[in-house]
Amino acid sequence: MSGGGPDSPAGTAADDLAAAHEYLAKVMAEIDEEVLHRRSTGDLPERVERELDNLFLLYSPMAGRDGSMEEALGAAEAASFIDPVVPVDSSKSGGALVKRTIRRASLWYVGWVAEQISQFAAATSRSLRVLDDRVRAMQTEFDAQRVPAALVLETEWAHGPGAWWVEPVLTSLAGQGGRIVHAAAGDGWLVRNIAQAGLDVYGVEPREGRIDRAEVEGLDLREEPVLDHLRAIAPGGLGALVLTGVVDGMTVAERDAVVRLAAHTLAPSGRVIIHSLSKEGWTSERAPVEADLAAGNPLRPGTWATLLGRVGFDVEVLEGPASLDYLVIGVSDGGGEGVGSTR
Amino acid sequence: MKVVFVTPRYGPEVMGGAESAARLLAEHLAAQPGFEVAAYSTCALDHITWENEVPAGTTDMNGVTLTRFAVARRREEEFFRFDGKLRLSPRHVSWEQSQRWLDLNGPDVPDLIEALRDGDADVAVFSPYLFLVTVAGIRAARMPTLLHAAAHDEPALYLPAIGDAFARSDALCYYTAAERRLVQRIYPVAEKPQIVLGIGLGDPTEGGRSGGDLLGLGDRPYLISVGRVDDHKGSAMLDTFFRRYKEHHPGPLALALVGRVHSTIEPHPDIVLTGEVDEPTKWDLLRDAMAAVSPSAMESFSMVVMEAWEQAVPVVVNALCEPTRDHCAHSGGGLWFGSYRQFEVVIDRLSADAELRRRLGASGRAYVQEHYQWPALTARYGRFLTSVVERGRTTPA
Repeated sequence: MSGGGPDSPAGTAADDLAAAHEYLAKVMAEIDEEVLHRRSTGDLPERVERELDNLFLLYSPMAGRDGSMEEALGAAEAASFIDPVVPVDSSKSGGALVKRTIRRASLWYVGWVAEQISQFAAATSRSLRVLDDRVRAMQTEFDAQRVPAALVLETEWAHGPGAWWVEPVLTSLAGQGGRIVHAAAGDGWLVRNIAQAGLDVYGVEPREGRIDRAEVEGLDLREEPVLDHLRAIAPGGLGALVLTGVVDGMTVAERDAVVRLAAHTLAPSGRVIIHSLSKEGWTSERAPVEADLAAGNPLRPGTWATLLGRVGFDVEVLEGPASLDYLVIGVSDGGGEGVGSTR
Repeated sequence: MKVVFVTPRYGPEVMGGAESAARLLAEHLAAQPGFEVAAYSTCALDHITWENEVPAGTTDMNGVTLTRFAVARRREEEFFRFDGKLRLSPRHVSWEQSQRWLDLNGPDVPDLIEALRDGDADVAVFSPYLFLVTVAGIRAARMPTLLHAAAHDEPALYLPAIGDAFARSDALCYYTAAERRLVQRIYPVAEKPQIVLGIGLGDPTEGGRSGGDLLGLGDRPYLISVGRVDDHKGSAMLDTFFRRYKEHHPGPLALALVGRVHSTIEPHPDIVLTGEVDEPTKWDLLRDAMAAVSPSAMESFSMVVMEAWEQAVPVVVNALCEPTRDHCAHSGGGLWFGSYRQFEVVIDRLSADAELRRRLGASGRAYVQEHYQWPALTARYGRFLTSVVERGRTTPA
């Protein structure tokens, strides 16, 4: 928030919010660093820290825990010792004496059983530790080879209101029934245009902080990863799916998911509209930096036509000026719904 | 536009979070020009028994035309046995079993369902998702339906008959984006019109007294935690963490636990237990706090976090609580802790850095002002309702 906090009259609300996010991220990073430093000093015994952290986890939702395997193992280990010395406190007069007598009389028996249970629990948690170590090793290898999700492309010439393909998209969508979704929606500029044409439209934007003001303006924009969003749509739930700046740098697996999900989520006569840079546009000086960072490369337009044709779309391709980009418009023949189980 | 809210219970004496939120929303909407707001509810006030306690009939309550309908039968003990059985594996429950669960859960209000079927409202709003009156109402309504689910990650959310309510709703309203993520992980409803609305905040009604004086702390800085003092709300954890913190960080910092006490909190010279306090006292205490701590991992929205920000007080939240952590991340108004170590460092930073506190508080306040003030919130909600009505009933009744 340096340079103007939310109460600064100079900055816009969006600038202030971005600055607040940056400041918070910096402070939390410093806090995490200080936590690591203090841990390294050993000023808090490990046992005490574990007890405190177990208390923290006691009333936490399992689904919300980061590194839940480690925590689950910690909890299992903490519970693996069965204490045969039962508490004898009592609110009733003489109750403690009675309990203490029973405890003393039965301790040899309870202790024998408890020791065996403790040994079993300890052996089980040791086995789980071995398993955890192996899973971690595999995960480390997997992470090293993991391909990041495709970055959203955004250039002024190809992804803004002045782009050549906006008019054909609006023309193609005219009279389209059902809900239309646009991704990546950015600040909602295309959603706004489509809505002004009287169509039922919403947007999905995977990048953080782009849509914070959208709902305030009355637009239906969601901040979600595009594929996650498509996976949460009912079969045949959409009238049209418009993807711009999304598929260009996708991997083969991601593109495969897009095709299957388009077939799955679009109603009969629904439309999938895809804008992509061409191979020429991808390697030109006018391409955004994401072109160098992406895991995949743009397909030729004919390849999209083939892929979409296989799942029941009739496809038309429009090429942009200087063949730097293109638009693919596919109309579902209704046979694609439910193609490929996506959930 | 005629709007009817449907809740299992209704009235200021009902403490349920979702039902209170629906009532407040109905009342604020009723104050907007162009909205005629009704509420359909039951004669029950106790959600365990569904006993009819207040008379059936129509009255006016703060601008809302409230009609209460008699519950046809009390909740039987069989429900709790059946619920315990289904909770073990809710994802594998059959349709018939889940419908049986709903019937037993109630409340069964046939006259209310009939009134919905015959009603002339432009849109029907249901909250929360958990009850028979919601699921049966959404099935019966002829007008467009909007579900304020108030969903938690709990076994009932996974029951097939509940999924039917989500599928048949024409639109959805969430408290937080975290609630939306939860629902969409379970049900394919992402394409439905929806809004993340939250809850509106009233104007602070301060009493004009010093928070430190009210707590008997004078000028000492203090952390505040407002809400039920309960182990399930993280109070015992906060109490333990704070005691540990004070052992190694002696100084004037104190902790005020403000709310009805359900936990055992041993006396400590730096911890003040106030019990329940009135609204002006709460606002005075919040205003003068160094920071407000929300230790609970199970919040679906957290009004207290909003109230602290309304007073430009920074907040500290449980890192495992998605909704409150989301609030902090989106607003830039608070820090979070996921361990004792992190708690210790967070409190150290806040204690030592007045500029940090100012910036967090200011960001939080801007967030509340933009998103959770009743006028702005009801205006957004009104626009959303209009769009839902324009689309009409899109799913079969």
